[in-house]
Amino acid sequence: MTRGREGLPALTVAAWLGAVIALVAVGLVVWLGPPAARAAATGAAAMAVGYGAGVPALRRILARRSGIASVAGAVVDEAIRLRSTLVLLVLVAACIPLLPLLLDPSERLAYRVQFLVSWSLGTASLFLCVLTACLACGSVCGDIESGRIQMTLAKPLARWEYLVGKWLGLVLYGLLLVGLAGIGCATLVWMLAAGPAADAADRDAVTGQVLVARRRIAPQPADPAAYEAAIAAALAQLEADEADVFRAAPAAARQRIRRDYDRQWHTVTPDMVTTFVFPGLGRRAADVQLQMEPRVTNVDVDLADVRFAVWLNGRPWPPAGDEPREQTLPSRARHVFDLPPELVATADDLEVRIANRNLVPPGETRATAITFAPGDGLMLFVRTGGFTANLLRCLAITWCKLALVAAVGVAAAAAFDFPSAILATLVLYAGAVGNDFFRDALGSYNVVGDTAWGRAADRMWYAAAHLQEGRIYAAVRMLLGFVTDGVLWALPSFSADAAIASLATGVEIPRSVVLSRLVLFGGVYPLLCGALGWFVLNRRDLVRG
Amino acid sequence: MATADATIEHAAGPTTPDGVDVTCVGVSKWFRDFWLRPRVRAVEGLDLEIRRGEIFGLLGPNGSGKSTTIKMILGLVSPTAGRIAVLGRRPRDVATKRQIGYLPEESYLYGFLSARETLDFYGRLFRLPAPIRRERIDRLLEMVGLDAVGHRPVREFSKGMQRRVGLAQALINDPQLLILDEPTSGMDPVAARQIRDLIADLGRRGKTVLLCTHQLSDVEDVCDRIAIMFGGRIRTSGRCAELLAEESATTIRTPPLDPAVAGEVRAVLARHGVDPVTVERPRRRLESVFLEVVEQARAAGVTTSGAQAGGAVPDFLRGTDEAVATAPAAQPAQPAGGVDTDLIESLLRKPTDDAGS
Ligand SMILES: Nc1ncnc2c1ncn2[C@@H]1O[C@H](COP(=O)(O)OP(=O)(O)OP(=O)(O)O)[C@@H](O)[C@H]1O
Ligand SMILES: [Mg+2]
Repeated sequence: MTRGREGLPALTVAAWLGAVIALVAVGLVVWLGPPAARAAATGAAAMAVGYGAGVPALRRILARRSGIASVAGAVVDEAIRLRSTLVLLVLVAACIPLLPLLLDPSERLAYRVQFLVSWSLGTASLFLCVLTACLACGSVCGDIESGRIQMTLAKPLARWEYLVGKWLGLVLYGLLLVGLAGIGCATLVWMLAAGPAADAADRDAVTGQVLVARRRIAPQPADPAAYEAAIAAALAQLEADEADVFRAAPAAARQRIRRDYDRQWHTVTPDMVTTFVFPGLGRRAADVQLQMEPRVTNVDVDLADVRFAVWLNGRPWPPAGDEPREQTLPSRARHVFDLPPELVATADDLEVRIANRNLVPPGETRATAITFAPGDGLMLFVRTGGFTANLLRCLAITWCKLALVAAVGVAAAAAFDFPSAILATLVLYAGAVGNDFFRDALGSYNVVGDTAWGRAADRMWYAAAHLQEGRIYAAVRMLLGFVTDGVLWALPSFSADAAIASLATGVEIPRSVVLSRLVLFGGVYPLLCGALGWFVLNRRDLVRG
Repeated sequence: MATADATIEHAAGPTTPDGVDVTCVGVSKWFRDFWLRPRVRAVEGLDLEIRRGEIFGLLGPNGSGKSTTIKMILGLVSPTAGRIAVLGRRPRDVATKRQIGYLPEESYLYGFLSARETLDFYGRLFRLPAPIRRERIDRLLEMVGLDAVGHRPVREFSKGMQRRVGLAQALINDPQLLILDEPTSGMDPVAARQIRDLIADLGRRGKTVLLCTHQLSDVEDVCDRIAIMFGGRIRTSGRCAELLAEESATTIRTPPLDPAVAGEVRAVLARHGVDPVTVERPRRRLESVFLEVVEQARAAGVTTSGAQAGGAVPDFLRGTDEAVATAPAAQPAQPAGGVDTDLIESLLRKPTDDAGS
């Protein structure tokens, strides 16, 4: 038996062949083709080569004599050799490099790069999650329904080892695929960004706002304690004045008041000066950017210019004598200013004072106010690193999500047949992706207190009050909040970190977020799902049907 | 291989003080439906003891609970009631699985793996070191005659070839207890013969074999003890030789005798024993014992969730279908149109005649 190790893995050969063919094609295109085609071909080739090298490496890693590694190896083999997974894979691989061909070359480069990043990683994440769900359910349900599991579990392999092995195989295969998506994305971004920009500002935007990692700092009112106290007072006033309205929808009332105050505080009224404090800069001087999107409301379009003056840490900027020079921006346009280090570095916190210098519109007696949308209308960016490190963090988070989907899939497959298992897994995935949406939708009428205990107590209190007044439906609705709360609490959130959006807008994905996803999606949730799956599998008769 | 064995953990084997490898006491299995109502009583109150080094045959008609019993012994199915001990431990004990080889009733293999990869996969589950694995895979593939096609994906194999892969994987850990569920199903006669020899060999090596098959001649040849199941219960069990002993007659076997001498011998035998004459109990065929047990069970009205007694082969399969035989006769008004109706009729009638003769 001289026929190679373990027989020649036919599809690894195919992968290598594919890589070679792709390389030749790329050579031709790179040599002859237009820039976009060049980028596409190089991206595809990079991914193909990565696959060709990664698959044998993965199989070698798993070729050890342990139950878990053997099961994991079999999953990888299954994934590599099943036609359906290959089809999905080709789809992903095609989606990523095809993109540069679709982008309009007359668009600004910064926008194209941004779109490329978010699209390529977004589609990859979606496809890979679906692929992982299919593989997880298909592999475990396939074993159970075909009876193969009877042979496997008649060997010295505990049922938990079987489940862990399946999960490990999926997670390692997912690592390979996420890595490939990263290689494809990085290659394309790198090639696209090397192309010509529309102008110098466009080039600056590419390097300073997209292909960069920046920490985002949101403004605070000058006196936060006084601000919170004002909100609390307003709430108390409302509860006293309009007890019925408040009790019908307490959460909505709270939200409304906070939103009003936030909007009010982000507004610079005519002839007034508002101070915004950006904490935690720590005398960091270089690479600080101020991003603002000022808007003027209730004004004719031709007058829709915003005029203002700015002081940084009490000093005029840009200086024109003792006063700052007045600046004019079109309303609702986003602007990024690089702040001068000598003004920024004078204190730990940066104090930005903005004065409203708007003109009085014709027919009016007063000038209009300037507002910044609370949240992203006004913020500070501090450069902390490069794009590559941020990309790696984004990929790590994507991989954690795959690990979670794999665990859910394996656990569901241990309990249900294939259609039910895949359905359950995809429903959970959709729930996790839409978690923030649900939170918003359900939160507006259900969430009452600020803490979990406070919420529970409030809810009981209001339910009792409704019941006393004979409003049974309202009471039940209050109590149903416990169910939605529980679901929202247990459901993982894939949207909260907004990793891909952050990466595309040059915002640093904090290390703490990556760590928390690793622990939560890669550890806690898989452990819980695995325990559930094991519990069921342990009690299950392993017979067909 | 002898030196290699020494490095493998299972070489010693757990001790079963009473020399019994498998014990089932009062074991029942009810399969339940979605609402957890008992639907099928596959096994009921089964008592079984398989001693070390014994080749034990488990027989019974389709659906009598043989495979279910085996799956309970392997811990794949949990019994509804009763107690099972395998090699002195619970059936779900992972460590004892090192000692067990199992060939399921159907070959459940990963179609995308080659025969060689399949065996390697199972070898790794037994944590066999790579050199031993390679050596054993070569030997086993040779033994089951698949060494030339070991690299082909199992999906492409014929049923019998897949069966052979299944047999090979059951032997890769050189098990102390080998459980074979219909090993010869789908195998050609030569392979079936090989398996029979293999089982006998293993028995001589002190291995325990639980053999479940419908090939009664196999059982007759190799089994030390047998049990015949019907409707989830064991109807009869005992040593093969005893079960097959015919109680009502004696055979006297001698070297070839001249007819005249034979007459004399008969006369002499009436008075004296002759030295080279051996007297033994003639054996019945196992088949007749099996049929008798099943027939008795059916006659006694024992219920079974398995298959009932088969009926006669339907006529259309035997070519004696009346409709076919009488079809031309029923349509005499059809214009002949140059067709030789007599010939057709004779052709159509031919099978009937054959069946009659
Ligand atoms: N998963 C299952 N669900 C419900 N009933 C089952 C299941 N598996 C087996 N049975 C029932 O249990 C009984 C015994 O089946 P089993 O497979 O043990 O029979 P067997 O003796 O191995 O038959 P065969 O000779 O055909 O292999 C049958 O009536 C069968 O219908
Ligand atoms: Mg059976």
